[in-house]
Amino acid sequence: MTHYPPKWADRFLEWYCDESLVEDLQGDLYELYLKRREKRGGLIANISYFWWVLRSVRLSAIKKNQKLKNSIFAMTRNNFKIALRVLWRDKFNSSLNLFGLIIGITCFLLLGFYVKQEISFDHFHSKKDRIYRSWLKEDYGEGQVFFNSHTPLRFESLFEDNFPEVEKSVQYILSNFLVGRGENRINESVAIISPDFFEVFDFQLIEGDKDKPLPTPNDIIISQEYARKYFGDNDALGKTISLEVGQDIKDFKVSGIFKDIRYESSINFDLAISTDNNRTLFSERAMNAWFNVVAETYVLLKEGASIDNVNDKMQDVVLSQMGDVSYGDEAMQRDQYNIGLQPLTDIHLNPDIPLGNAPVANPQYVFILGTIGLLVLIIACINYTTLSAGQSLRRAKEVGMRKVLGAYKGTLVYQYLSESILLTTIAMLIGATFSYLLIPTFNRLTGTEIFLQFEMWHVGIYALLALIIGTIAGSYPALVLSGFKTINILRGGNQSPGKMTTRKGMVVFQFLITVFLITTTLIMRKQIEYLQNKDLGIKYDAVISTQMRASPSAQRLSERITSGFDNGQLLKSRLEKYPEISDVAMGSHVFGTSGWAHLAYSDDKGVFRWFRLLCVDANYFKTFGIDMLQGRGFEEGNGLDMRQSVVLNKSAVEHFGLKNPLGAKLPGDEFGDHQIIGVTDDFHYSSLHSEVEPLVIVMNPVPIFMGISDANFADSPIPKLVFTYNGSNLSEGTDILKKEWEALFPNESWNFNFIDEQIAAQYESEARMNKLVTIATILSIIIASLGLLGLSMLVVNSKVKEIGIRKVMGASPVSIFRLLARGFSIQLLIAIILSIPITIYMMNKWLDNFAYRTDIGVWIFAISSLASLLIAFLVISYHTMRAAKVNPVNSLRTE
Amino acid sequence: MRGEHLGELEELVLLTVGSLMQEAYAVAILEEIITNTNRKMDVTAVHSVLRRLEKKGFVTSEMGGATSDRGGRRKRFFTLTKAGRRVLDETMELRLSLYQKMPKLTFSVLS
Repeated sequence: MTHYPPKWADRFLEWYCDESLVEDLQGDLYELYLKRREKRGGLIANISYFWWVLRSVRLSAIKKNQKLKNSIFAMTRNNFKIALRVLWRDKFNSSLNLFGLIIGITCFLLLGFYVKQEISFDHFHSKKDRIYRSWLKEDYGEGQVFFNSHTPLRFESLFEDNFPEVEKSVQYILSNFLVGRGENRINESVAIISPDFFEVFDFQLIEGDKDKPLPTPNDIIISQEYARKYFGDNDALGKTISLEVGQDIKDFKVSGIFKDIRYESSINFDLAISTDNNRTLFSERAMNAWFNVVAETYVLLKEGASIDNVNDKMQDVVLSQMGDVSYGDEAMQRDQYNIGLQPLTDIHLNPDIPLGNAPVANPQYVFILGTIGLLVLIIACINYTTLSAGQSLRRAKEVGMRKVLGAYKGTLVYQYLSESILLTTIAMLIGATFSYLLIPTFNRLTGTEIFLQFEMWHVGIYALLALIIGTIAGSYPALVLSGFKTINILRGGNQSPGKMTTRKGMVVFQFLITVFLITTTLIMRKQIEYLQNKDLGIKYDAVISTQMRASPSAQRLSERITSGFDNGQLLKSRLEKYPEISDVAMGSHVFGTSGWAHLAYSDDKGVFRWFRLLCVDANYFKTFGIDMLQGRGFEEGNGLDMRQSVVLNKSAVEHFGLKNPLGAKLPGDEFGDHQIIGVTDDFHYSSLHSEVEPLVIVMNPVPIFMGISDANFADSPIPKLVFTYNGSNLSEGTDILKKEWEALFPNESWNFNFIDEQIAAQYESEARMNKLVTIATILSIIIASLGLLGLSMLVVNSKVKEIGIRKVMGASPVSIFRLLARGFSIQLLIAIILSIPITIYMMNKWLDNFAYRTDIGVWIFAISSLASLLIAFLVISYHTMRAAKVNPVNSLRTE
Repeated sequence: MRGEHLGELEELVLLTVGSLMQEAYAVAILEEIITNTNRKMDVTAVHSVLRRLEKKGFVTSEMGGATSDRGGRRKRFFTLTKAGRRVLDETMELRLSLYQKMPKLTFSVLS
């Protein structure tokens, strides 16, 4: 049986190839095709054949006959030549169009880069479609829900042993270790990963054994960046890095160096050791616990395996594996202990599943920014459309002539489209270059982190984009122009330059988007200012905090907290000697961090209760200026306070349902001896996205710890020391801290934070979004103004005679200005009115993200309306004033 | 002189055309070059070189008889022209004379 190469490739060859060459060329290729097919099989042969056909496209082989000269190629050349001449002839309009398109495209591309980066997070793993991260949701009813994407350590083997669909399961734990021996130890975040981690994920090992990057528990792998940081230019492989593990300092040998993990990865670390260390790092209990969440567990499914099969079996496996493990006194019920699997590529943009080791982005923001980029581009396209349609009058004769000479409507459409495509291609060329150059500026301005490597295939995308944008922008004018009736044109009659309503509609739409963006920017700015200036019920100006360390010998949490306080006391007595430092205090959490200790228990009536816990010293209230509503705060040297006194915030009093809180106890049997001595006002200790939650404040956490059943410490509860610096230069304050710290704890690296900066950082993503929207707004104002400028010129030009006659009849320049401006004002007013409900709807949705929000004031609409009216009048006044002042003799003399 | 210059690949193809005598068509030339020089080559490159050589007048071509294989398509056979022969001779002479000018000493130094 004979085989034939793909027909379509043959047809392509016959299409482009010169007829005198095609027979032997085809024969040669066909001969080679058969040989390759024999050796390598059909698919390879087909691909090779197509490849040869493509490679045979050479100038010497392309058709040289008459057919080609008449074809679309030649016409295109002619069309582009005419297009260039037309663009050149009307330089003012062309440059307005070009400029608007460049800005629109640049803005669109920059925002597009951002959106693309956000949605392509974690997409670089070749097995990404089969990788899932597990989560655990315990639900015992009555709001007793514990939802985590950190999972118990035993999950790795749970997945591998019980599900034949699972090819591999790996752990990823992030933990902080003190790195180094002797002086200047640095606190680094170190990943603890399963030895077969690199078989699931596509991180690149540059040096070391690719199959076994972490052969023993004593090995460590490091990133290139950290290899430079720790070993300079020396070869890091085989060198030693020491970590403090428990009470000991343990040496690890560098067994591999991996390529720096790229930004768009949810898994990101610079140092990693093997989970074979887990036996020394975690207690036996933690290793086997069902309720102790530590690691992110990733699952790689076998090829072709279905995730639904795994999910269906999950509850059976859980129940059979847990056996008689129980929660509290009751045996585990079905659907109480739920394990779920989330696709790897879903992690970055899914805020519904709790945070794991990496922060996630708000998909709403990504969507909004993408939409804004598109809107700005649309404004630029409308510019082109309205301006070209407006110009069409001047080209009516050209159209008529072409039609008489036998041009089809299709040919004319094609001609005018090539004009717009030419212009967008030029704009795309400049805009794309701009965007690449502007990435660093854009990153700095907005705090985003866009990394973009230029690759050749991007050119194809840009070309395609230029084609699409050009077609969209040019299609309306092309249809209008080609639709002119030949007889009317040549008779000299007036042509309607397209339906006025369509064009007016477009202008209204353009204004609408611009006014909407202006209002949005103002509202966002107002909300962010509200967040940053809202009285939190605390004072935190010039307050510096530093994280204390617990001594390694302290094992239990309460001991480590106490040890942190003891260390803090040493530092405190040294700092208090400085006159410019005052209000030195300590607390287990400070303001500006989320995830304060979250504790839960069931009270004596079986009601599930939860609250947050703060351990402080006696100065804490004073340093932050926290006011007492009832009772008193803690007192220095009061033994009772240091042992058992409790202060609640107002929300906690309501949550526990206490009528007379002073002297009362928390509802619950298991708590140690304690007594409520005071109630504070509801100061805002977490970000204003959420409401104030019940807070229990103590000096000694032990009585509270005795009575709780669940705890979650997202923020480390090891105490921080805070102080107010009264000097003029804050950096001197940190210098003092550094000096005293190094004298006291020579082995530990010092650290500091400004509380006000931390609080501001909570609204970073909102502030960033606001900056991006502001930039887009300014650009859209510029583009819309350009369009308006061009449009006003067209209107004025078409009314030169009318203005002349009116002036002769005695019209004043002002009345002429009014006449010309009226049309635009009506369009602008319609746009403003339409924008109001849209803005209110969209902005209310955005403001719903915040528990504490500003209202959308009327004055915001007033400001944005006034601003857009003012800008519009400024823009159109340039041409109208000139037209109104012109001597009527000049405009009426020539006929 | 312009048009008389031979590129490296052109020279190779021209030599092969000469050596294959009456059987020189693109696929045969390609295979001959691959077996002799062991270099990776694409048939499209041979086509393009042959067309160039024909334009320069170093080879002529004519279509062969109908074939039963290769989809019934005829082959295009190439033959060396006098000009082609001359330019090959000149190139060889030039190389040989340059080669012989090279002092023998160099090799002993290098080895």
